Amino acid sequence: MKIARREFIGLVAGAAAGAALGGSSGRLFSDALSSSNQPIYPPRGPEQFILSVCRACPGGCGIRARRIGNRIVKVEGNPLHPISGGRLCTKGQAAIQALYHPDRLRVPMRRVGPRGSLTSFRAATWNAAAAQIASRLRSIRDEQRPESVVLIRGADRDINTRVARRFLEAFGSPNDIPFDRGSEAGALALYLTQGVRATPAPDIRGADYILSLGSEFLEVSPAPVFASRAYGDFRQTRTARRGKLVQVDPRLSITAASADEWIPIRPLTHALFAFGVAAAIVEEGLYNREFVSERSIGFEEGAGGGLRAILQQHFSLERVAAESGVSVNIILRIARELAGARKGLVLPPQKGPLLGGHLYDHLAVHILNALIGNVDQSGGVLIADDVPIAAWPDGGLDPVATAGRRRPRIDGVGPDSMLSGDIEQLARALTTGQPYQAEVLFVVDADPLYATTMHGQFAAALDRVPLVVAFSTIPNDTALYADWILPEPHFLESWNVQTAPASVAFPTVSVASPALAKPLYDTRAAGDVFLDLGRRLGLEHAMPWQDVESLSHAEVGRLFEARRGAIVGTQFDAAWVRMMEGAGWWAPGYSSADELWKRLIESGGWWDPFYDHGDWSRVLRTPSGRFDFRPDVASKIAEGSPIAEGGLSLILFEPLPIAGGTGAELPFLQALLDPGYDEKWETWGEINPETARALHVRNGALIRVASAHQAIVVRARITERIVPGAIAIPVGLGREGGGRWAENIGANPLRLLDGAREPFSSLPDFGSARVLVSETTPSDQYAGKRI
Amino acid sequence: METFDDYVDRRLIAPIETTSRRFYIFAGILLAIGLWGAFAWWTQLRRGLSVTGLNAPVFWGLYITNFVFFIGISHAGTLISAILRLAHAEWRRSITRAAEVITVLVLFFGMACVVLDLGRPDRVFNVIRSGNFTSPLLWDVTSVATYLTASTIYLYLPLIPDIAILRDRIRSRGWLYRPLALGWTGSAKQRRILERAIAIMAVIVIPIAVSVHTVVSWVFAMTVQPMWHSTIFGPYFVVGAIFSGIAAIIIAMAIIRKAYHLEGYLKPIHFTNLGLLLLVMSLLWFYFTFAEFLTTYYGGEPMHMVVFLSKTQGRFSPLFWTMVVTCFVVPFALLANRYTRTKVWGTVLASIFVEIGMWLERFLIVVPSLSSPRLPLTAPSYVPSWVEWSLFAAFLSMFILLYALFTKFFPIVSIWEIQEGREHSVGEVTSRVLSYLPEGEPS
Amino acid sequence: MTRWAMVIDLDRCTACQACVVACQVENNIPPADQSDSARGRGISWIRLAPFYEGEHGTRPELRLVPLPCMHCEHPPCTRVCPVGATMIDHEGIVGQNYARCIGCRYCTTACPYTVRRFNWKLPEWPAPMEEGLSPDVSVRPRGVVEKCTFCHHRLQVARDKARMEGRPLRDGDYLPACVESCPAEAMFFGDLDDRRSIVARLAAGPRAFRLLEELGTKPKVIYLSKGESGGDV
Ligand SMILES: Nc1nc2c(c(=O)[nH]1)N[C@H]1C(S)=C(S)[C@@H](COP(=O)(O)OP(=O)(O)OC[C@H]3O[C@@H](n4cnc5c(=O)[nH]c(N)nc54)[C@H](O)[C@@H]3O)O[C@H]1N2
Ligand SMILES: Nc1nc2c(c(=O)[nH]1)N[C@H]1C(S)=C(S)[C@@H](COP(=O)(O)OP(=O)(O)OC[C@H]3O[C@@H](n4cnc5c(=O)[nH]c(N)nc54)[C@H](O)[C@@H]3O)O[C@H]1N2
Ligand code: SF4
Ligand code: SF4
Ligand code: SF4
Ligand code: SF4
Ligand code: SF4
Ligand SMILES: [Mo]
Repeated sequence: MKIARREFIGLVAGAAAGAALGGSSGRLFSDALSSSNQPIYPPRGPEQFILSVCRACPGGCGIRARRIGNRIVKVEGNPLHPISGGRLCTKGQAAIQALYHPDRLRVPMRRVGPRGSLTSFRAATWNAAAAQIASRLRSIRDEQRPESVVLIRGADRDINTRVARRFLEAFGSPNDIPFDRGSEAGALALYLTQGVRATPAPDIRGADYILSLGSEFLEVSPAPVFASRAYGDFRQTRTARRGKLVQVDPRLSITAASADEWIPIRPLTHALFAFGVAAAIVEEGLYNREFVSERSIGFEEGAGGGLRAILQQHFSLERVAAESGVSVNIILRIARELAGARKGLVLPPQKGPLLGGHLYDHLAVHILNALIGNVDQSGGVLIADDVPIAAWPDGGLDPVATAGRRRPRIDGVGPDSMLSGDIEQLARALTTGQPYQAEVLFVVDADPLYATTMHGQFAAALDRVPLVVAFSTIPNDTALYADWILPEPHFLESWNVQTAPASVAFPTVSVASPALAKPLYDTRAAGDVFLDLGRRLGLEHAMPWQDVESLSHAEVGRLFEARRGAIVGTQFDAAWVRMMEGAGWWAPGYSSADELWKRLIESGGWWDPFYDHGDWSRVLRTPSGRFDFRPDVASKIAEGSPIAEGGLSLILFEPLPIAGGTGAELPFLQALLDPGYDEKWETWGEINPETARALHVRNGALIRVASAHQAIVVRARITERIVPGAIAIPVGLGREGGGRWAENIGANPLRLLDGAREPFSSLPDFGSARVLVSETTPSDQYAGKRI
Repeated sequence: METFDDYVDRRLIAPIETTSRRFYIFAGILLAIGLWGAFAWWTQLRRGLSVTGLNAPVFWGLYITNFVFFIGISHAGTLISAILRLAHAEWRRSITRAAEVITVLVLFFGMACVVLDLGRPDRVFNVIRSGNFTSPLLWDVTSVATYLTASTIYLYLPLIPDIAILRDRIRSRGWLYRPLALGWTGSAKQRRILERAIAIMAVIVIPIAVSVHTVVSWVFAMTVQPMWHSTIFGPYFVVGAIFSGIAAIIIAMAIIRKAYHLEGYLKPIHFTNLGLLLLVMSLLWFYFTFAEFLTTYYGGEPMHMVVFLSKTQGRFSPLFWTMVVTCFVVPFALLANRYTRTKVWGTVLASIFVEIGMWLERFLIVVPSLSSPRLPLTAPSYVPSWVEWSLFAAFLSMFILLYALFTKFFPIVSIWEIQEGREHSVGEVTSRVLSYLPEGEPS
Repeated sequence: MTRWAMVIDLDRCTACQACVVACQVENNIPPADQSDSARGRGISWIRLAPFYEGEHGTRPELRLVPLPCMHCEHPPCTRVCPVGATMIDHEGIVGQNYARCIGCRYCTTACPYTVRRFNWKLPEWPAPMEEGLSPDVSVRPRGVVEKCTFCHHRLQVARDKARMEGRPLRDGDYLPACVESCPAEAMFFGDLDDRRSIVARLAAGPRAFRLLEELGTKPKVIYLSKGESGGDV
């Protein structure tokens, strides 16, 4: 601590006087001990509550900011909001720490030195940034190569992302690359079996019995607060009906700790286990005959003789027990419990926003769900109806754009691909210039460099792109490798119209007005930046709005025209709307778009709580109009894939406070990584005592975890919370960016991966890596280096 | 003064009249350590208790250990001297002063340890301004303050005749001795009043002394924490206090004896007698420790057993077993053996071990219970910081320095009591012994 | 009489720790950095206490229990404070007077639940973080002890509001920040002496228990164990 000279003289004088006077030493003491080194000025001014929507994760919680004067002093849930119900998770609560984070970007930054460090950047003006980016874009359009502009973006429910997509479309690039790995496998499983392109929305609240096959739905569901609230009701509702939760997973996660029973299982055998349970259910005739016979195909017939034959042939209880490590008795008991429950629900391995699951796990789980007949039933797997404003009307393409849009996607993802975006393939394309050279890369609401399974290649690829533009509030890892970092306002400073997250079954639109009247810094919303670029490039025909605020107004106008749903309200209101809509009535309580706007600002959102269960034409869109048990895929899975030998199986997971690779920048969240362990502010690796003994690894020692091509150093946590033969490591730390509280703290286990794909689809494989583990020292020279 | 036998007891005055270079060097070193401690304290004042090794849940550490330890040592003087006086133990005469000074000085350091430990030392007077008498800490403040007052009086009263000797002998320090001598002339009336006052104080001081360490123990025992919440903590602490107190006297005597060549006053018999007392206390200490641990073990309450095991087998076990060896095994071996007990070095060696052991005992009472809270809360193990060690060293140094300075202003062996012993006691003891025996003429 | 109490339903609780952050933001708790955390110096007024159960070598069970101050009816902490800086008020809230506390940490060692925290150093908010501080709760100086206050300042606001609206305080008017935030809706708060209040009804149910009940501290934080609720509440 620095002592100011004056203060020091005062102290010395004080001490001398104190010695002389004796009696008044108490006061002199307290001066020396001055209780605070900075005056805390309490905010002054009127108290106001401003409704907004949390963007700390894609969960879409409606929030309420308490403002005093021009300071936000607390963020709480908006009690009327159907997703948050007035509640907030750790990240939402800590939002205020992000708003007032000392390392927030204050002005646009232009890179003048090597990539990868904030010290390489110099402050610039918005004019300079926009002019430079626009001129580059203009020359690309002049060269008729609009496809060379690439956008990597987060889920598109946020208004800024949607403007960015619109810009890309009007500009003429096909390269809108979504980066939303967490829900990809689930969406694909739904597409394969039900023919619907959507994310499944499991109805946790309505279920009686949940068999969670490694789903960490209490931590990393797409909408954590919504899932927690549903879970609370599932457990203890007002009707004295308590739901039972069984967790089957190699790891005793926080979700597993909440469960009634944790059943350890060998890594990578979730699908096998699901099919084993399915086989037992079929064997005992406990499946839902009505659904299977009326609404499905592929059960009795089809490739390999249909699902029944495949289950009988390949998934005997003995085989499943032997390979999964779960005893026959337990599998049978689980099968009976699940099938016997009034409303059983099976949840697939959902490991976090960055960790896409395996398609075969999700498919097996969904097939099991269908067998017990809970497709589109209350307490089953639902599919959210479209939000009326989700799709924008056609903006019109000029000839350059039309030609550009016809070019193949640079990441090789075709219109019918199993993937929505492939950043590893993108990295290869950027490096090789095949199928074509990328000239400009925009990164909005994503940190692909942190999350990629090919870190080295991705970083090198960024170096091959002439202009990389990243949007960030606190610069993330990718931003440090950009040419421009454009500072975004915090969500408490911006306008937004946001649609419901995946996994929430009812359409919801949240409206946010800036909670802070005046933004803290010279920031611009990504939407405003793209609208500005659109004007500079003459693309107003597709994006005519002045700014995000006026666009928000326009969106609400379209919502009004949809003529359904209602302003969010109390539970009573919801029941009323549901009942009216069920009877075919619509009583909106607003008579004009302006009135709707006004009421949305006051209440925080709009929703349509009515869900029409069993609307088969909507939820079963396969060619047959039936649920397809996909015996073809099941028989492939039955063959199994060789599980690699040697070393330990690497299990990755994302603790809620740092899930999605964000959160580590906030000190409150760093201290909360796993309440079962002492590790804070560092990355640990969980190892079973048996395995640790064999490897001579002591609890608390530093260990080197090495894959075939890279090593990281983490702290060993010897625990029975993990099965033998595996090491579990949390993802979310080990960042290059993220400010003073995140940079170089912990390790990023994604670096251990090498871009491998899972065997049955082209999805990245986060589960099959094998690693070698040994004790090491803090000065490990291999840490973080490529081997 | 006429009663002063210049020839016989000159050695008792010599340290006051002449000071060697060695003393200055010695004092200089102590002062330097003290100044280092002042720097450490300054650091702590500036940066708060974050400079210590404390954490949640180990909220108390070295400072509180030292508090208990120093207050324990304080039982050296006043209590031992008062008991010996009341028991008419004639061998006491040359050791009482040396013991009493320890009490008065070390009490200050014990109290100061608590102030060191406060997060807000500037508010220490809140204890008086808004004292809350349900708090054992306040009982401590009260009883330690009382003990300090009583001990000071008890030290001062027997000093008066000696101060009068100095007043008459060392004219240049008259400013100091004259007011303190209170016009002592040595008249029979004055002597009668003095003896009477000393006797009264001796009686008063004993219950106060017992109360002090009982109350110190209650700081811990009044909570419900595992291995603190114990009914025998009161007597256990008192025994420990007397134990460490006696050891302190022995060490102090040995140093004085050597430094001021007082072999004639502090004879092996003094060490042997105190050594016997130390042996008794060592046995008593062992008895209490054994009783305490055995009841905990048999009770087997899980929370208590966690602490029990952390002491006997866990991470505190090296300290625990060192404590058993230093508090019991070594002193017992040295003091039960006539050969070593009758040697000055034998008792001194035993005493040094006892002091180390008793400090460890205090540490092992404070830290392990806090390290294993009832509900899970883990933190890195408590390791005292340089600031804490520096302040401990500084307190020890400053205590020794003040003690040494005392010997430079006042006789550390009571001159008049020695003389009184020579003049009256022999006859008095003879007649007292005779009074124990059956009447009648020897045949 | 009024006796403020909290009920935490461990069957609903997902150990998400939202209550922890809600409390930190509400009560101006300074952020701990990496070294503070590593040294056990971070402050939180509520934490998730992990209880591992099950024999060695078998499947372990992990129970995570949110642990604020229990606001004991017989608080061991208040008795031992030498200056009366911590006290229980007539409505059962155990409060803390930061201006009087001398930082002796006797209360912290006496609390069997170890929920009190000490300010080892100056609270720091790197600029502009101090702008997010709440005006309702004072910033504690260095060297004093602090703990969960049941968000007592919210009681003052709720009372003022009720008074202004000319009505008595109703169940649910006064909710601490953690209760308000809890995503699983696992926390409840209210007057234990009002038999119709939600906490009184839950506390009377078969699942209710208190932590370390055997110590006789009579906690006013009541837990509900896992299991059937056995009736409507
Ligand atoms: N609605 C409502 N209003 C009330 C009351 C109520 O019940 N309801 N109660 C009233 C009562 S009883 C009171 S006492 C007042 C209290 O009102 P205030 O006097 O405003 O008290 P605090 O809220 O404690 O705020 C004191 C400020 O001092 C700062 N501070 C803390 N420590 C220090 C320090 O060491 N030095 C300096 N310079 N600053 C420091 C804190 O950050 C805080 O901003 O409120 C009154 N207002
Ligand atoms: N977290 C936090 N804690 C705080 C503070 C803070 O800022 N934050 N502030 C502190 C401060 S400054 C104060 S003053 C205290 C206030 O704390 P309290 O002293 O508890 O104040 P009130 O909450 O106003 O409660 C006073 C009670 O008295 C009752 N009452 C009202 N009028 C009368 C009457 O005429 N007779 C009787 N017998 N009862 C009456 C009211 O109904 C109410 O129950 O809180 C302290 N605690
Ligand atoms: S779940 Fe997501 S949206 Fe909701 S509060 Fe948490 S971070 Fe914000
Ligand atoms: S839980 Fe601890 S701090 Fe809270 S009232 Fe009880 S003893 Fe006091
Ligand atoms: S630390 Fe403060 S509140 Fe606690 S006992 Fe000491 S003076 Fe009282
Ligand atoms: S009641 Fe208030 S002070 Fe206590 S833990 Fe909850 S939020 Fe924190
Ligand atoms: S906020 Fe609620 S659910 Fe989350 S840990 Fe706290 S009590 Fe449990
Ligand atoms: Mo007040």
